Amino acid sequence: MLKPILLAEDNPKDLELTLVALAKSNLANEVVVVRDGEEALDYLFRRGPYENREHGHPAVILLDLKMPKVDGLQVLEQVRADKELRSVPVVMLTSSREEPDLRKSYDMGVNAYVVKPVAFREFISAIQDLGVFWAVLNEPPVGSVKPVIKK
Amino acid sequence: MNSTDTTEPPDLMSCDREPIHIPGRIQPQGVLLAVDFKDFTVRQASENLHTITGSPTADLLGGPLAGVIGEEGVRHLSGRLRRLVSGERPECLETVRLGPSGQEKKYDLIAHRNNGKIILEFESIVTEEFPETHSALESLLGQLETAKTLAELSNQTAAEARRLTGFDRILVYLFDEEGNGTVLGEDRNENLPSYLGLRFPASDIPRQARELYRVSHVRIIPDVDYQAVGVLAERPFTEPLDLTHAILRSVSPVHLEYMRNMRTIASMSVSILRDGQLWGLISGHHATPRRIPFTIRRSCDLFAKAFALRLSALERTQELERRVEVRALFSKLLAVMAGRGDYVRGLLENAHELLSFVDAGGAAVVSESFCEVVGETPTKEQIRELANWLFAGGHTEVFHSESLATVFPPAGEFGSTASGLLAIGVSKLHAGYVMWFRPEVVRTVNWAGDPAKSMTPAPGGERISPRQSFEMWKETVRGKSLSWREAEVEAAIELRNAIVGVVLRKAEEMADLTAELTRSNSELESFSYSVSHDLRAPLRHVVGYAEMLKDSVSDRLTETDQRYIRTIIESSEFAGMLVDKLLAFSRMGRMEVVRTKVDLNKLVEEIRRQLIAPDSERRITWKIEPLPPVRGDQTMLRMAMQNLMENAVKYSRDREEAIIEITGHEEGKETIIAVRDNGIGFDMRYVDKLFGIFQRLHRVEEYEGTGIGLANVRRVISRHGGRTWAEAIVGQGAVFYFSLPRTTT
Repeated sequence: MLKPILLAEDNPKDLELTLVALAKSNLANEVVVVRDGEEALDYLFRRGPYENREHGHPAVILLDLKMPKVDGLQVLEQVRADKELRSVPVVMLTSSREEPDLRKSYDMGVNAYVVKPVAFREFISAIQDLGVFWAVLNEPPVGSVKPVIKK
Repeated sequence: MNSTDTTEPPDLMSCDREPIHIPGRIQPQGVLLAVDFKDFTVRQASENLHTITGSPTADLLGGPLAGVIGEEGVRHLSGRLRRLVSGERPECLETVRLGPSGQEKKYDLIAHRNNGKIILEFESIVTEEFPETHSALESLLGQLETAKTLAELSNQTAAEARRLTGFDRILVYLFDEEGNGTVLGEDRNENLPSYLGLRFPASDIPRQARELYRVSHVRIIPDVDYQAVGVLAERPFTEPLDLTHAILRSVSPVHLEYMRNMRTIASMSVSILRDGQLWGLISGHHATPRRIPFTIRRSCDLFAKAFALRLSALERTQELERRVEVRALFSKLLAVMAGRGDYVRGLLENAHELLSFVDAGGAAVVSESFCEVVGETPTKEQIRELANWLFAGGHTEVFHSESLATVFPPAGEFGSTASGLLAIGVSKLHAGYVMWFRPEVVRTVNWAGDPAKSMTPAPGGERISPRQSFEMWKETVRGKSLSWREAEVEAAIELRNAIVGVVLRKAEEMADLTAELTRSNSELESFSYSVSHDLRAPLRHVVGYAEMLKDSVSDRLTETDQRYIRTIIESSEFAGMLVDKLLAFSRMGRMEVVRTKVDLNKLVEEIRRQLIAPDSERRITWKIEPLPPVRGDQTMLRMAMQNLMENAVKYSRDREEAIIEITGHEEGKETIIAVRDNGIGFDMRYVDKLFGIFQRLHRVEEYEGTGIGLANVRRVISRHGGRTWAEAIVGQGAVFYFSLPRTTT
């Protein structure tokens, strides 16, 4: 009964590397990939292409901070404003710690952030730590769906 | 001295209350009578009236004037008597012969009107020959024309007045704004001592005497030992006669005592007026009784007027010259200041102009962070205290005082150098001042043989005398400097405006610069961000994909192929690190320095513990001395300290036993921290490059690094207002130093 991980990432290379990292961490959760903030919101609020998806919230949302159309911060804002989604953990992925919006994301209640390291091994371990912490160790809230691993 | 003598010294101030204009008595060298203006009825007369009439004085009171000068005399004079105007000075109407027949004597008949009364004085004629007044005046005017200084003017006036009057000594003295007098000119013979330069307090001439001198210009006492003659009235309890303008008016006993103490038996004083105010006196003294006739006295009055006119002109000229001089000095200072853009150095490097500009003995430029002085001044601590007092009192524009200690008591400590203060405030935000100091007047008085000494005290001591006056004067001017002239204060204000202008211009330039910096800072910020973001992402991808490639094909690759991939990964990772450090470096430059008290001992200990992995085989001996407390940004100082300690560890790694010493001490206004190692050192020829960004003195394969570390240290320290430097010997080790401004608390 594992809830999926929602990954919002626009850069295909970062996406691929992140998926490899997640795969290497042997998580049982399904990873749902969306390519921008708008799609992430569609998924979360079950509208547009995701209108008919099963009910339930993801175990954790991994949000790239900079995305086209709707960026990570705006997604975070809407998640935190929604009564049901509010409790879903959100991890912000950023390209560097110089990100001026990093502070804002804290103010808006992000649970953690990961500066994508240049060294791939570090990246894998960071993702693993996060995945394990948020997806596996946390008690799934009521209403979670059974995971289906998509590759 | 008789210590049991309890005689009170006469309180000269009490003279202020003595009604000297209505003494009710006259001096005996003449006869005085007062008649009604409308019908010439005799209302009052001096007791000696009988000497000119032969009949008892009382018989004439209430009678007509004809009883004194005869019907013929009245007819002759009535026209002129009727034309007298109240308040005008006495006129000598003519010389008359009066007295019991056979004993007739000549008298100058001097008359003036005081409201409803005409006062007639019959002054017995002086038989002695006097010089011709017209040529005396001409001679004086000629001399005054050429006089260039106050001293010349005064001395020449004294000499001419003595030639005319034949007095043993003539003094010319002037009063300052507070009424204190100074003898400026003198001419004398051996009979009387010199009083030149003598000063005396305002109280020597009581207030009402001053007023009397102002309206009545000439006083004369032919013989200090005169027997005063009473003035009788027609009826008892008549209001005493106002003798303000009377030549024969009897003077105060206190004044007579003063004269006797001065050994002057005869005296005459003539008022010098300016703008209707008493400005000074021409004073004649004689060692024996001496009478001066009316015409000569009148000439002396003219002398005084000529002197006043000439002195006014001279003062105006001098004031003008002073203004021109001040202006020239001001222009020079201004030019220097504008040229330097730094008023402090501009002023201090032109000490002569700065001082003579307002005729000061010393000057100081003081601000929050410095205090520089020229000339004779109080100590810097005292000046700072003074500046703080001025600032606390809200004197941020101009302040001047001739007796600083009366408003700022600590100034009593340095009265001899700075009884006078002229200060201009150059900042509204802190105690920034330019100050000028003037010494105490007493100290500046040049006594040229101390004239006070030449006066022998009278037997039994003197109660009032010039010597005592001088002592008293010294007390009244204790802690006082010469007054600041209007032109000087004005010039100081102008200088202030100029300085504020310079400072403002600088502030504007700074503001422009700040705006520009803010702009370029935010440009830099967005640049940093895009570098961070855009450069890091491809590097990450290179590393990520190379790693994946390595994972998937490593079993098929040769050792060489694998090394290539490793190199790709390492180089990209290094590039990533470089980007990160560069960003950190730029952040150090932009971050606000948040100063708190920092315990370097704690900081060093924490860094030391993190620095060496527990499994390290290195042998490092740390010698860490107790370090003084400093103020600074905790995060930034940690970064700097960490950098220096990392370097010390890194460059000593070839030593069997590395010795790293960290020491600190306070020196002057700085706290200096040193990190010393016994590592490989560096060539001092390249010491200048050491702290530059991307500068490395070792090959990469010898010692890894980005060449940013020391640049970062320098940036952090310089942002704290400190310095960084290093010393080394190749192969023996290096010392890296940094200094921080010393904590004031």
